[in-house]
Amino acid sequence: MMVLAVTAVPPHVRGALSRWLVEAAPGLYVGCVSGRVREELWTTVSAVIGDGAAVCVHPADTEQGYELRTAGTRRREPIDLDGLTLIRFRAPEQPTSTSEPEFPW
Amino acid sequence: MLPRVADSLSFLYLDVVRVVQDDTGVCALIEGPRGTDRVYLPVAALSCVLLGPGTSITQPALATIARHGTSLVCVGSGAVRCYAGILPDSLTTAWLERQTRAWADDTARLAVAVRMYERRFGVPVPENTTLAQLRGLEGQRVKALYKQLAQRYRIGRFRRNYDPAAWDQQDPVNLALSAANACLYGVVHAAVLALGCSPALGFIHTGTQHAFVYDIADLYKAEVTIPLAFSLHAATDPEREARLRLRDQFRLLRLLPRIVIDIQNLLDPDNATSRTTPKETLVELWDPVVGPVPAGVNYGNEPADLEESPW
Repeated sequence: MMVLAVTAVPPHVRGALSRWLVEAAPGLYVGCVSGRVREELWTTVSAVIGDGAAVCVHPADTEQGYELRTAGTRRREPIDLDGLTLIRFRAPEQPTSTSEPEFPW
Repeated sequence: MLPRVADSLSFLYLDVVRVVQDDTGVCALIEGPRGTDRVYLPVAALSCVLLGPGTSITQPALATIARHGTSLVCVGSGAVRCYAGILPDSLTTAWLERQTRAWADDTARLAVAVRMYERRFGVPVPENTTLAQLRGLEGQRVKALYKQLAQRYRIGRFRRNYDPAAWDQQDPVNLALSAANACLYGVVHAAVLALGCSPALGFIHTGTQHAFVYDIADLYKAEVTIPLAFSLHAATDPEREARLRLRDQFRLLRLLPRIVIDIQNLLDPDNATSRTTPKETLVELWDPVVGPVPAGVNYGNEPADLEESPW
C-alpha cells in the first residue's frame, strides 16, 4: 500500500504514475505495489520534482506504523521528535524590506 | 480504555515550545528567526506527553489533553526528572480500590511486594523469606549485572551516580541510564494513571508521590534501561540516543500493554483470567453487605428495619 501526493509536477510524471497507481483525487495516487516498484516510483518522482512537491506515505516497521517522505520544498516539513515523525508547519516567508523606499515621516 | 492505552504511541518529549489549543487542534508553537512554526500534536493517539523545561501550556490545551485520557507529565531537562502528572476525570476506580485495599493491609502489602521481587527474579521465592533478604538478593543481582555489562563493553569499573547538581560531569553510561529511567518512569506513570491507580501508594518504595511508579519501573530496569545505557558508553549525545533507542524497545517489547497487565497481575493475581471491562456506570454507593448499589436512586421506600424515624 502506498499513498503518493504530488503538486505541480510535469505532466509526463502524472502519466507515468497513472500506469501504476489510481488517481483517487487530483494529484493523489493510491495503490498496492511491491517495495521495489515503490522505491522506483519514488526515485523517478523525486528526481524530476523541479518546483513541484511530492509526499509519499507507506506502511513501515516503525512505532507509528508508517513512514513519511517528502521531495521538493513546501511549508510543511517532517520533523523527527526522538523517533516520532510529526509535521512542522513553517512560518510564512517574510518579504525582505530592504528594497522598499523609506517612509517619508 | 485499556486497549486504547496499550495501542497508543508511547510518549512525546517537548521542550522550549508553547503548547496551545487553536481552532483545529493542539499545537506546539516553535519560535524561530523567521517567525512562529507550528507542529500539530496527535494528542488523542499519544499515551503520554512529557513537558520539558522552557515549555508553557494553555488551559484549553491542557483540558483537551485531559479529555483524551492522555497523561501529561512535567519533567526536567532531557526528561531526567518527573515532577507531576494529571489524571483524566472519566476513569473507573476499580483498580484504585484494589490497590488501596492491598496497600492498607500489611499482609496483603507484603504479598504484593514479594510478587514484585518474584517478577524481577523470574522465579518464585521460598515462603517466609523476609523483605530484608529479598532486598539483599536484588542488590546482589543488580551489582552482578553492572559488573557483567561493564566487562562486556570493557569500561572498567562502573559506579552508579545520580547527581542532578553535577549533571554534565557524569560518564555517558550514567547519563544514558538516568535519561532512560526517567523515560521509563514517564511511561510507567502513564500506565499507572491510565488504570486509575495512585502513583503514590507504593508497595516496596514509600514516602514519595511516585512510590508506585518506582515499584513498577524497577520490574523492567534490568531488562530494558540498564543494558541500553551500557551500550551507549561511547555515544556523543547519550541522553537523546537513549530516548531514541527506548522508543524502538517500547515498540518491540510492547512495553505499555505489558505494564498494564503486570500491574493487574500484581494487584489482583487471582482474578487474572476473569477480568472484563468494567460496566459503564458513573457512580455507585458502597454497601458493606451487598456490595455497590446504583446511585441516583431514591431508597426512601425500601422496607428498612428501622422503627419510626425520629426525624
